[in-house]
Amino acid sequence: MKFFKKTDLLIIGILLLLAGGVYATYYASQQDKPAKAEIYLESELIQTVSLSEGVDKMFSVDEKPEVVFHLYPDGSIAFEHSDCPDQICVESGRLHIIGQSAACLPNGLILKIVPENGDAYDENDMVI
Amino acid sequence: MMGRTQKLVLTSLFFAMAIILSVIENSMPPLPVSIPGVKFGFSNIAVMYVLFFIGKRPAYAVAILKAVFVFSIRGWIAGVLSLAGGILSITVMILLIYLFRDKVSYLILSIFGAIFHNIGQLVAVSIIYTNLYLMYYLPVLLVTGIIAGLITSVLLNVIMPAFQRVGFGNGN
Repeated sequence: MKFFKKTDLLIIGILLLLAGGVYATYYASQQDKPAKAEIYLESELIQTVSLSEGVDKMFSVDEKPEVVFHLYPDGSIAFEHSDCPDQICVESGRLHIIGQSAACLPNGLILKIVPENGDAYDENDMVI
Repeated sequence: MMGRTQKLVLTSLFFAMAIILSVIENSMPPLPVSIPGVKFGFSNIAVMYVLFFIGKRPAYAVAILKAVFVFSIRGWIAGVLSLAGGILSITVMILLIYLFRDKVSYLILSIFGAIFHNIGQLVAVSIIYTNLYLMYYLPVLLVTGIIAGLITSVLLNVIMPAFQRVGFGNGN
């Protein structure tokens, strides 16, 4: 078996094209759809936040007061502060496109952007 | 061919390497576009080498042992993610070797191994927590998979001569 073949470049090229194509079509199709944020604790939906109200506020969920979320007026939402050791959730930054998610696994929290009107996407196709 | 004892010793050495890589990876900063619980999977490098040099069953054994180690250090969720990524990655690589035999290169095997390692983890996160959108994460998984695969096969290229000097690496 060889380490590398010239045809490998072709395969890598196809993979990159696939990545670019999926990225472009996904962003184009989901960019301006009305969205809401869902907050899950250990796989249970505990709070839903509308992203289209244009308000700027900080809030926490009752179950985890040490984790602070920040809702921005432009319709994005982020983990503002968390007591977890790795801070991956905070570094995930601001989310606003349907399908984006950030997680604070040490606290069992997942923040997920979904379409405003619940089942606007095809379950079998878009979601695993 | 390797004897049973040689295989056992080599597999153990690779398992030790997998643990070290996993510890190194955990002390590095997270990926720029972070996916819940998904890591680059450098420790998967060791699992790939076991598959390439020693065999299928030792590769699964190392992946399972690694998951047990991760479980004992970082809890059951991290353990399940490690197991899902490891098993799917090995299975896809075995499938590619079976289908294409010598026509597939180590580079392509490494890339697909890395991509499916992350897909396995994403599926596990989806099952444990809440459904995640595969289409949103697929581009990220493909690109990080290609990078991780490149790193793996470059390292393999460096390590291979050393293996051949001590009598391993070809035809096993």
